[in-house]
Amino acid sequence: MILSRRHFLTSMILAGFVLLGAGQSVSEEYQVKALFLFNFAQFVKWPSSDFSSANEPFRIGVLGENPFGTFLSETVKGESVEGHPLVVQHYDSPAAVKDCKILFVSDSEKEAIGQILAALKDRDVLTVGDTPDFLKEGGIIRFVPEGNKIHFRVGLDRANNLKFSISSKVLRLADPGKD
Amino acid sequence: MVFQHGWRVCAFIALSLALWSGKVFAQTPEPTESSTVTPSITSSPVELKKLSLEQLMNLDVTSVAKEPQPYGQAPAAIVVLTNDAIRRSGASSIPEALQLADNLNVAQKDSHDWSISARGFNTDLSNKLLVLIDGRSVYSPLFSGVFWDAQDYLLEDIDRIEVISGPGGTLWGANAVNGVINITSKSAKETQGLYIEGGGGMEWSPELQDFEAIRYGGALGPDLFYRFYGKYDARGSEPLLTNGNAANDSWTNGQGGFRIDSITTGQHLTIQGDIYSNIESISTGGTAQKSGGNILERWTRTFDDDSNVSLQFYYDHTFINDPEPEAFLSTLAAAPPGIFTDRLDTIDLDFQHHFHLDDHNNFSWGFGYRYTDDLTGASPGLAFAPSPLLQNLYSLFAQDEIRLLSNVFLTAGSKVEHNDYTGYEYEPSGRLKWDVTENQMLWAAVSRAVRMPSEVDTNERGLTPLLNAFHITSSINGSPGFLSEVLVAYELGYRAQLDKNFSTSISTFFNNYTDIRSTGTTPGGALGILPFVFQNNLMAQTWGVELTTDYQVLDWWRLHAGYDQLNESVWVAPGQLDLNKGLNETADPPNQIFVRSSMDLPGHLELDPAFRWIDTFTYNNSGVPGTVPNYAELDVRLAWHASPNLELSVTGQNLLHPYHLEYVISSPAPTEAISRNVYGKVALRF
Repeated sequence: MILSRRHFLTSMILAGFVLLGAGQSVSEEYQVKALFLFNFAQFVKWPSSDFSSANEPFRIGVLGENPFGTFLSETVKGESVEGHPLVVQHYDSPAAVKDCKILFVSDSEKEAIGQILAALKDRDVLTVGDTPDFLKEGGIIRFVPEGNKIHFRVGLDRANNLKFSISSKVLRLADPGKD
Repeated sequence: MVFQHGWRVCAFIALSLALWSGKVFAQTPEPTESSTVTPSITSSPVELKKLSLEQLMNLDVTSVAKEPQPYGQAPAAIVVLTNDAIRRSGASSIPEALQLADNLNVAQKDSHDWSISARGFNTDLSNKLLVLIDGRSVYSPLFSGVFWDAQDYLLEDIDRIEVISGPGGTLWGANAVNGVINITSKSAKETQGLYIEGGGGMEWSPELQDFEAIRYGGALGPDLFYRFYGKYDARGSEPLLTNGNAANDSWTNGQGGFRIDSITTGQHLTIQGDIYSNIESISTGGTAQKSGGNILERWTRTFDDDSNVSLQFYYDHTFINDPEPEAFLSTLAAAPPGIFTDRLDTIDLDFQHHFHLDDHNNFSWGFGYRYTDDLTGASPGLAFAPSPLLQNLYSLFAQDEIRLLSNVFLTAGSKVEHNDYTGYEYEPSGRLKWDVTENQMLWAAVSRAVRMPSEVDTNERGLTPLLNAFHITSSINGSPGFLSEVLVAYELGYRAQLDKNFSTSISTFFNNYTDIRSTGTTPGGALGILPFVFQNNLMAQTWGVELTTDYQVLDWWRLHAGYDQLNESVWVAPGQLDLNKGLNETADPPNQIFVRSSMDLPGHLELDPAFRWIDTFTYNNSGVPGTVPNYAELDVRLAWHASPNLELSVTGQNLLHPYHLEYVISSPAPTEAISRNVYGKVALRF
């Protein structure tokens, strides 16, 4: 009886492995971060002169390895901000980045984060990342783990010097901690 | 599945389905700032994108990539159990959650008693661990140990449990000898909304039969938050080792409490309190009660320069009513059964100040005062004199973290304490930390810690009214002159976050103990030896290794492995005597192995198997070594997040054997084993 139960459990655990091999899922962490990006799009205001036309897409860029799978594009599908349809754009290199309003800089770019952010400094892009030095290197919003939750911090020095405005709601909800 | 209290589970499932699909809450107005909704990641993007920023910030996310935490830099052997790790383990009580700490030995004695220690000395009345719940010390001055059955909390609202193995006397004071367990609950701000859980065990599964809990958290203003909770557990009897029959030690526990947090820039005020009551059947007959309550207030002020002060006050009350079995001296009946009671009131005040003295010095200092009033009510065979015992404990500490080089830090400090038993005690320590690279740290420490005497050591009377005719009035007595037990510990450790997905920690220690408790005789007393008395005639050395590793194999799969190795050498001081031949203070497995796996499966499932192997160890069987054989056990939890609000889980504990032995106490009580247990749980979060 004990033996058979052991076998039962072993096979249950193994079944778990097999089951998992088949599935490819975006981690909960990046699902939440994708939802944050979608929310940021609605709380940051760009001057209308920043768009070439009334229906130019509002691009959310992802630079480097894409940790969101299809989750981010599914999230923004059919959504728009003041008439600009939301779309997700992937960029392989910093040089390719253009015309996006929000740019998520993937963890894969952490070695070059300083150069990337320096290059984007004068562009009207809300840079978002999750690498530890992201704000120090000149990024605007960084995701920080807070226990089991995802919070975010805002690099205030940068945020006060932008052509676009970040809603006070975002600033208020940001973690007060410094990097 | 047939649950013993199936109707409750059914009711919960029905209720949850009603709430989930029946739109009871779905029509609530758009969440305001203090959102009362705590969804989870189980829905489609279409659903999830309706969440507000506030709701997103409240989402519980598993497997958040770790970034260097403050504890990651502390030069000590620390294991941190997060809320998520505790939830995913299926632990239903604080002692069960502590099984997750690789650097502890957790042994269950019977349905409601545990023995928990770090780095050895896990004796029946284990006494070298300091346990704090939200800054409130919960060890009993009666025996310097913890009544684990009286320590409970709604696990959902526990933020984390930090387990430090090794001495922490410099900061924490007397009793932080072999380790410190620091249980921290979430602030009321983090527990907004409604939480309901309930469940029960399988019919054949004796341990956890039936439980339910509710918590509600709300906001009274933009910076003012509250929560209150209530919970009830009913646990059945564990089996007797000899025949597997129920040992008649079932128990029930009810607890409730509240917490209020006012959080403004630079200031945090917390007021919290709990009350509880247990009723426990005792295997030797009768019913025990444990009840109590506490209220705590803590104010922390953080200044612009990152310095902070905190002031904490608490009052704690505990009451124990314990039926004592008939007592024997050898084979002679010495005392009839009776009731022993203990009513303890504690008032504690603690102040701490932390500031940067200059670029190289990070300074902390503080003081504390504790007043205890312990009133014991003697049973025929057990008394403490004097009663009530009124005691004062004063303490003062100072500690400086000095930056010696850009990446080398020395933390040096001491606590000075004055207690009514032994007067002044000193607990200095020096800790050296070398950040070898950004992600690797080497540390070394030398510390002195003391265990001050308990009432058992000093004031106990093992009365023998049935033997008075033979001029034997007591079998064993405490000694008023009992000394503090002293430890000097040498530690060396390495901790590394080798890449984003792999972290490891190795801690080694060599502990040198003097004046450990022994049992001697009264020359010239009754029969030339009686009563026996507690003395300080044992010396001990222990050394060992604690290893813990976490590996995030894939986004959805995390592995954990832990290994403990412990060597103990205990001997009687030259020319002295211990009737127990040095066996009574230890009951510790020399090796422990832990392997856990945490998987997020498709379909919003979580699967968490946890394996442990505990080595054979010896205990004191009346002056000769007895043996508890080694055992392997497996816990598995499977959970399904049916909706953002609803979590269903089944947890199996100790699945490999119908029952197994974890601990033996030399006592008239028959030895109990710990059974296999399976329970189901429904959790609702709104």
